[in-house]
Amino acid sequence: MTRRVLQLSVNGRAHELMVEPRRTLADVLREDLELTGTHLGCEHGVCGACTVLLDGLAVRSCLMLAVQAAGTEVMTIEGLERDGEMHPLQEAFRDSHSFQCGFCTPGFVMTVLALLDEGRDLSEVELREELSGNLCRCTGYQSIVEGVQLAAERMAAGR
Amino acid sequence: MKPPPFEYHAVGSVEEAVGLLAEHGDEAKVLAGGQSLVPLLALRLARPAHLVDINGVSELASFANGDALRVGCLVRQRVAERAGAVGVANPLLVRALGLIGHTAIRNRGTIGGSIAHADPAAELPTVLVALDGEVEATSRRGPRTVAASELFRGFLTTSLAPDELLTGVRFPPWLAGTGWSFQEFSRRSGDFAIAGVAVTVRLDTNGVATDVRIALSGMGPTPVRASSAEAALVGQPPSEAAWNAASQEAVAGLDPPSDVHGSAAYRRHLAGVMTRRALREAHERAEVRS
Amino acid sequence: MRLIGAKVPRVEDRRILTGRGRYVDDLHLPHMLHATFLRSPVAHARVAALDASAAKRAPGVVAVFTGEEMKALSKPIAVPMAEAMGARIPEFYPLVTDKVRFVGDLVAMVIAETRYEAEDAAELIDVIYDPLQAVSSYEAALDPASPALFDELGDNIVYTSSSSAGDVDAAFAAADRVVAMTLRQHRVANAPMETRGAVADYDPASGELVYHAATQGPQGLRLALANTLGLPMERLRVLAGDVGGAFGLKGYVGREDLCLAAAARQLGRAVKWTEDRNEHLLASGHAREEKIDIEVAVTNDGSLLGMRAHMTMDHGAYPGVPFPAAMFSGLVQMLLPGPYRMQGYAFDVTAVSTNKCVYVAYRGPWEMETWVRERVLDEVARELGMDPADLRRRNMMAGDADERLITGLSVAGISSRQSLERALELIGYDAFRRDQAAARAQGRHLGIGFATFIEAAPGPPEMRMGGGMFGGEQAKVKLESDGHLTVVTAQAPHGQSHETTLAQIAAEEMGVPFEHVKVVHGDTSVTPFSLIGTGGSRAATWASGAVLLSTRKVKEKVLAIAAEQLEISPEDLEINDGVITPLGAPHKSLPLAQIAMQATMAPNSLPPGTDPLLEAHETFKGEGITGSGWSGGTHACIVEVDLETGHTQILRYVVVEDCGRVINPAVVEGQIRGGVAQGVGEVLYERAAYDEDGNFLAGTFMDYLLPTAAEIPTIEIEHLETDPDDELGFRGVGEGGAVVAPATLTNAIADALAPLGARVYDQYLPPSKVLELAGVLPTT
Repeated sequence: MTRRVLQLSVNGRAHELMVEPRRTLADVLREDLELTGTHLGCEHGVCGACTVLLDGLAVRSCLMLAVQAAGTEVMTIEGLERDGEMHPLQEAFRDSHSFQCGFCTPGFVMTVLALLDEGRDLSEVELREELSGNLCRCTGYQSIVEGVQLAAERMAAGR
Repeated sequence: MKPPPFEYHAVGSVEEAVGLLAEHGDEAKVLAGGQSLVPLLALRLARPAHLVDINGVSELASFANGDALRVGCLVRQRVAERAGAVGVANPLLVRALGLIGHTAIRNRGTIGGSIAHADPAAELPTVLVALDGEVEATSRRGPRTVAASELFRGFLTTSLAPDELLTGVRFPPWLAGTGWSFQEFSRRSGDFAIAGVAVTVRLDTNGVATDVRIALSGMGPTPVRASSAEAALVGQPPSEAAWNAASQEAVAGLDPPSDVHGSAAYRRHLAGVMTRRALREAHERAEVRS
Repeated sequence: MRLIGAKVPRVEDRRILTGRGRYVDDLHLPHMLHATFLRSPVAHARVAALDASAAKRAPGVVAVFTGEEMKALSKPIAVPMAEAMGARIPEFYPLVTDKVRFVGDLVAMVIAETRYEAEDAAELIDVIYDPLQAVSSYEAALDPASPALFDELGDNIVYTSSSSAGDVDAAFAAADRVVAMTLRQHRVANAPMETRGAVADYDPASGELVYHAATQGPQGLRLALANTLGLPMERLRVLAGDVGGAFGLKGYVGREDLCLAAAARQLGRAVKWTEDRNEHLLASGHAREEKIDIEVAVTNDGSLLGMRAHMTMDHGAYPGVPFPAAMFSGLVQMLLPGPYRMQGYAFDVTAVSTNKCVYVAYRGPWEMETWVRERVLDEVARELGMDPADLRRRNMMAGDADERLITGLSVAGISSRQSLERALELIGYDAFRRDQAAARAQGRHLGIGFATFIEAAPGPPEMRMGGGMFGGEQAKVKLESDGHLTVVTAQAPHGQSHETTLAQIAAEEMGVPFEHVKVVHGDTSVTPFSLIGTGGSRAATWASGAVLLSTRKVKEKVLAIAAEQLEISPEDLEINDGVITPLGAPHKSLPLAQIAMQATMAPNSLPPGTDPLLEAHETFKGEGITGSGWSGGTHACIVEVDLETGHTQILRYVVVEDCGRVINPAVVEGQIRGGVAQGVGEVLYERAAYDEDGNFLAGTFMDYLLPTAAEIPTIEIEHLETDPDDELGFRGVGEGGAVVAPATLTNAIADALAPLGARVYDQYLPPSKVLELAGVLPTT
């Protein structure tokens, strides 16, 4: 397959890559850009571990061809820290002991980042629905729900 | 699970797209949202020699509510779901959209893509069939519209020719006072429905049903309109007994699949339950008027 | 500074939350190649012909290995534990040589510059299969007329064993009635979020192989690679970085591992294999497929007299290496009576091989015992017209000093009764029956279920002798020159937070800040040997005990030096915050770092008779544990079953658990909730299903359904911290949740359906099954 030029911005940095069109965005992020924080849990769009933000929207990077991200702004898990400081969402998850093995974690963080950005006031039932697109095998989800609630509280209070 | 090789074409116009489809016919697949196609590529269940990526055709991403709700094929499911104008124009559509998968899927998935993919377990084909909508398609041979009743031919198969591109979807105007419901049952939140039902109901001033539409998902290779059940309800005052009878009628003779998620008998039973619930809810929403 | 018992934030989280974890697929080595496997599409067939020539010529392909080539590089795969048990082991190799024996079996390996190209090439391998009849059920496997999976074994019976305790015949003779049933548990997949994978990095210049693996048993893996492939151990290193969950699966040595290591050595380059999810569900390992035919002898007033159980296990096509399925039958046998008195007990087991994926350990691989026992007790209560709680009370042991399981193990100190009463209180058991009746009057079907379990983590004193089954555990602790601590554990964590919990223990024992302790794991060149690595709910006891012992030893050495230098008795010295503080003479304090640096740079200047090597490497064999050694608890839940759709909603789920002394409550609760979630998944959503021809039906996450945040309820947890004075009273909690949740949930569903005459004998209760049990749908 012939490679194509792909220009996109990832975590605020512009990149120009040569990629085969059949390669997924997830594979290109992980291999060509060495941003291995985005994980592959299923490669068929069910587990959510590969979730990144594309122009601010949560998308499953295993379900996009990398070439489809041309001209877009992608944010991965690596893009949340600022000057070595964790984002309040990451701190809330840490303080809530939200995760265990960590494999699902980047997908959850990106999904929740986009969710909190929408600014909706969600009940726990609604929150669990919104989280149902990300699978976790370790935690039973309760600690993740608590982490999101703590983050929402803190971020609303402007911490 | 990596996609097989293909020739990739990112087009900027409808003309370019139909040109490629004319040239490559059934060796080509259209890529819109990719939420259905890319998993098939990853599992190597789909092996198109050519992929025509239409995401760059911005004219296909608009929608308008005039004498009909017309939605361009590239309108993202999430955009339509959250657009106030769409909600006012067609609450059934918005409800169905909210049931599709998860937010991240709907951020990329398109209205047109879901309809063209023609999965009988999906929500949008069922809504289109319930409302007697139509799709606009075009090819080098020119544009045409296809009624929902003519569109879905079989499992993952529409009546569109290999050289045709589905460009838009039209839903008939929503009449004020129409009652509606979309009921589906899935194993988990966001899964494909095992059985789903879209219902609309209009009542006259005496509360008698003048128009009933019942469309079922997951009950066969295409969405199914339960016409005889609909007919049985027209002219009837609403009652639990009538809805029970209608839901039995709706599933009688249907031959849904059996798989790991449920047997044919279970699906039929479930469809009956969902139909009854949908009829009840639609009636609760319907306003008595002339 | 109390660290033990505190919800200390995790060391692991800084990297986990920021995407800086290092999972094996994150590894990119120079000139690294990628492997993919061609897997059998049929369950049972002879390989009549195989032509890989087109694949070898495909773009990017460096090598294709087939069965004969791999056989030449490998000894027959050994399963020492199976041999020790007398289980029958076939001759088998990393790739198939004559037959394929399950859908997903390994036919060939393609190695290319990219995974994409490897997959393209694998499709070009031409194989002709001569199909054989698939053996896909217990009955078929037991039938001598069925084809044997391995010709040399003659039939498909892998293992049998019988045992009895007490006087079984007398117990049954004295019974007023015998309640009998067959209980079936279905096949599930461990399905961690990270699949299996490894990078085999062979350097021809030094002859060294570094095997980076997603493993929970790096030392066991190293041993198996060395023994099977003839790799010299001094040039073989296994490295486990971050591992994305395992639940027992990644303690196994895969035939893929052997292929990968062999290929890397042949090619002289690094070769990576990352298992995709389809392969994972198909071929990595399945668990729990067994049934038990059980008879329980009881009196009319509810005394349990005796039990006879026959278990049949579906072991799959190949033995699990190093832990064959048959070994878990021993744990089922040991624990089936649970904390209940009886006079006679007979247990026998038959393990059969079938044309299915290998049976592996899955979080509490003996879980069948709790499910069967607690299900049976509810059915016995029903037969006798007794309240199931009263039936338990009548027969449950109190944990008195002289109480023993019928098989002989002491259960002194178990807290089963306390956990039962407390769980029933928390769930509102008595009031529930009223609520249930009121709900039924409104056409709603609520049910309540509960179940009690005990787990030998580490078990009573007789099980702990000499360190128990694995000889205890080792740990190394070293005081660094700056007064910080390095702890090296044999554990191989994959979510258990050992970098945090073991640091809590070491920091508190030594008296240094938590942030000054680093826990090292997963590197066979430095970590002590443990065959099992992380598993079996051992870490809390054995790893913690080993770390405590080794840290204490280092502390003693340091204080011996300080005592001489300060001319103060060591008993009057404390270490707080990294400073050696004489009691009553704080002005004579001495930083730990000072002694550590002195020992490093000027060991001869230390007081004569003291040991300048400020390290320790101790083996903890369970000495000093004063508590019961039993973990356990009771779970209770309330469900509502929708008899139109068959859907089960869990309204409340309550846990009362006893894992002894808690190191980090957040970690304990996370383990419990994760285990319960898996139990819920097992009952309501997950089935690794085959059809009669051995075709696998759940090869993607669209068909193998893991529960999401919307399906798992809030789980309320209360700890019973028994044995508070037992300094070494940390007991295992990793598996308990998964062991008891299926019983809890199925009992609740059975209770909801009881008025309809339903009898629950199968563990898999998806909506369609619920409607069949309720009589709404005909039984299939």
